[in-house]
Amino acid sequence: MILELDGVTVTFTAGPPLRRIHLNAMKHVSLAVAEGETLGLVGESGSGKTTTSRVALGLQRPTSGTVRFDGRPFPKRRRELAGRMQAVLQHPHWSLNPRMRVGQSVAEPLTVLGRPAGDAVTEMLEHVGLEASFAGRYPHELSGGQRQRVSIARALVTRPAFIVFDEAVSALDVSVQVQILNLIKDLQAEYGFSALFISHDLGAVRYVADRIAVMRSGEVVETADTETFYTAPAHEYSKQLLEAL
Amino acid sequence: MSLLAVRNLVIDYAETRALDGADLDLARGETLGLVGESGSGKSTLGSAVGRLLPTTARRTEGEVLVAGEPVFDLPAREVRKLRKKHLGFVFQDPIASLDPTMRVGNQLRLVLGRGGDVRFHLGRVKLDDPRVLRAYPHQLSGGMAQRVAIAMAMATSPELLVADEPTAALDTQVREEVLNVVFSLAADAGTSILWLSHDLPAVARRCDQVAVMYGGRVVERGPAREVLGRPVHPYTAALAGSAPAAAGHGVRLEPVPGRPPVLTGPSPGCAFAPRCAFAEERCDHERPQPVLVREQEVLCHRAAELSEAETPREVTA
Amino acid sequence: MKKLDRLTVGGLACLAVLVVFALGSLVGAGGDPDAIVGPRLQPPGPGWWLGTDNLGRSVLPRVMEGVGTTLLLSSVAVLVTAAVSATFGIVAGYRGGYLNELVMRLVEVLYSFPAIVLAILVAAVLGPGQTAALASIVLVTIPLMTRLVRAAAVAVSQRDYVTSAVISGARLPRVLGRHVLPNVAGTIAVQGTYALSVGIAVEGGLSFLGFGVQPPQASLGVLIQQGGTYMIAAPWLILGPGVVLVAAILAINVVGDGLRDRLEPRETRSLT
Repeated sequence: MILELDGVTVTFTAGPPLRRIHLNAMKHVSLAVAEGETLGLVGESGSGKTTTSRVALGLQRPTSGTVRFDGRPFPKRRRELAGRMQAVLQHPHWSLNPRMRVGQSVAEPLTVLGRPAGDAVTEMLEHVGLEASFAGRYPHELSGGQRQRVSIARALVTRPAFIVFDEAVSALDVSVQVQILNLIKDLQAEYGFSALFISHDLGAVRYVADRIAVMRSGEVVETADTETFYTAPAHEYSKQLLEAL
Repeated sequence: MSLLAVRNLVIDYAETRALDGADLDLARGETLGLVGESGSGKSTLGSAVGRLLPTTARRTEGEVLVAGEPVFDLPAREVRKLRKKHLGFVFQDPIASLDPTMRVGNQLRLVLGRGGDVRFHLGRVKLDDPRVLRAYPHQLSGGMAQRVAIAMAMATSPELLVADEPTAALDTQVREEVLNVVFSLAADAGTSILWLSHDLPAVARRCDQVAVMYGGRVVERGPAREVLGRPVHPYTAALAGSAPAAAGHGVRLEPVPGRPPVLTGPSPGCAFAPRCAFAEERCDHERPQPVLVREQEVLCHRAAELSEAETPREVTA
Repeated sequence: MKKLDRLTVGGLACLAVLVVFALGSLVGAGGDPDAIVGPRLQPPGPGWWLGTDNLGRSVLPRVMEGVGTTLLLSSVAVLVTAAVSATFGIVAGYRGGYLNELVMRLVEVLYSFPAIVLAILVAAVLGPGQTAALASIVLVTIPLMTRLVRAAAVAVSQRDYVTSAVISGARLPRVLGRHVLPNVAGTIAVQGTYALSVGIAVEGGLSFLGFGVQPPQASLGVLIQQGGTYMIAAPWLILGPGVVLVAAILAINVVGDGLRDRLEPRETRSLT
């Protein structure tokens, strides 16, 4: 298992000291992503899937429960995992720093590790279907689909073992969504990374994932093979999601 | 007489052509989904209905009739009157469409005029909470702000509501609720809806009619179920077949290669021809004229043969 | 690039004239500001294009020197403000938590003093003079700039490219320097121009009250204060520096508006 969440609970507190409210964003969530596998995570906003993604990326510490990466407990310092896990996030508009050229953005994960970028940038850009000349452009010159391709190139440049895709295609036009989803599948076949693919759209999740977990109000209500989600998921809520397609 | 009629509308910006001869009709009480990807010209068409285009836009040809009145040929005062009397608008970014310096209650009062019942109108959009009245727009969530915008647009019971991707900036959970409010209010008031969206299945679920835009023209229009279920235009077929949800287990979708065109002038032929699997020689240089296939009006030279071949979708999948 | 609108161009031109004016006094154009050139309190005429003052000095070179003093003083002060506000605003906005609370409370305390009261307090502590004027401008302009930089930094910190950089293992200096700072720079520049106009007004007020720049050195505030005594007999004494002061503040504000329209995305803009 590349990533294991074991009984993870995350509680947020809000409000003034005496009337403090406790919110459980995740309640005893257990998930596991095997080597080379894509686990889909589907749920409405507020279901806790964003918190789950933050926990998986080490950006959010669980209130209780354990997280293991590559068989070992999460290191205290996030930086120790740098380069071994990456993410492709939601908003194509804000995924790239508008003041940096595309090439600098793609090279960044290598730069922070102190590794030379060399030809890696142009090579990665070509792998995601963009010409080498894109390296010199600024994000505002790119379409939404092209920006997400750049984000994928940036995530792949360190050859990570694990990538989180958090609503990575949700903001794109439908036909572009399929292009990006196909790209993710192809790159996975080539590089063999494991992935956590998070979306509110069961259609998109079903298209790329090997197994699917359904979240609702902070809990995982069903986990099953993708095939099940084409025919007969067990949980009532999963059925609703299927019918809505 | 239809409530809205768009005839061969051509709109140019400084360097690009946004609409390249668009046609559209909408009857009273009807709901129409205008579907297209970014850059297809649907927002320009939506704004043209109320002559709300940016100043850099130029109408080169054609006309827009709202309740029989030629919107582009009226003096500015008459246009304002027409907007007030017949039209309501809801835009993508709800918070930006409200006045940031004014409390929500005061803004509503301004729209409703004297004797308007603010609480009643907020209640209609399921926001009957005194705190909303006192709030400034930036203190509202996107969904709440959009409902306020809807309450304002629907306060005068307009004959036509133009909703430009009203849920694009909202969380998925809120989307359905907001759409429910829009459609139920419109149904009660007998308001026609022109709903701009890029989500073909969602539109087909709620609207009577669907119009699909590509390259600044409406390439296919007709009853929603027909257009989605038995698309005739190859682009509609590709769009309907490209949603990930449409794929069976283990089936790989092959999206149409290439990207939508950016027009600088009139397209010499069919704008979709360079990406179309069925394109012939004449598609490149002969502009297609509307053809009626079953109940659908289609801009495609090969519409008749393709509809007989039954499932052009199979070829694109 | 979008073309600048006419108003902004006008503001820039006006500012350029004032700067040329100020630079001119350095090379002695317009004459020696301290030389007595003719009779006292003469209305504008040949030899003294803006009249003479109560000592018979030509007003024109004194206004030129005054513009220079005021602009230089305000600019230096605004640079200090920008550096301090950028540092604290960005760190507070990015880190949040207690540091954020601390910075914001300090800023609020500072903000609650009326500008001129704050300036007088500073002058009382430091003693009147240029240093007091400089410190006053800095303290008066810091609160607003820090707040706005912080607000912009909060918005930028939540963007996906910042998160991506953190996930990639970027350290704090890199995240702040490469990702946050360049994307709040527009806010800093825009607020900087507004701060500059506030700075000019504060310098004017402080020197007018006698706590700022000390005669014989000329600044716009000093000139207005000296001219005030003879306002009825010799209105040109106050008119020259007064018009220049108003023009400078207006021009800078207009340029600031133009800059804001160009550099600042809507969401980081303040409502007022």
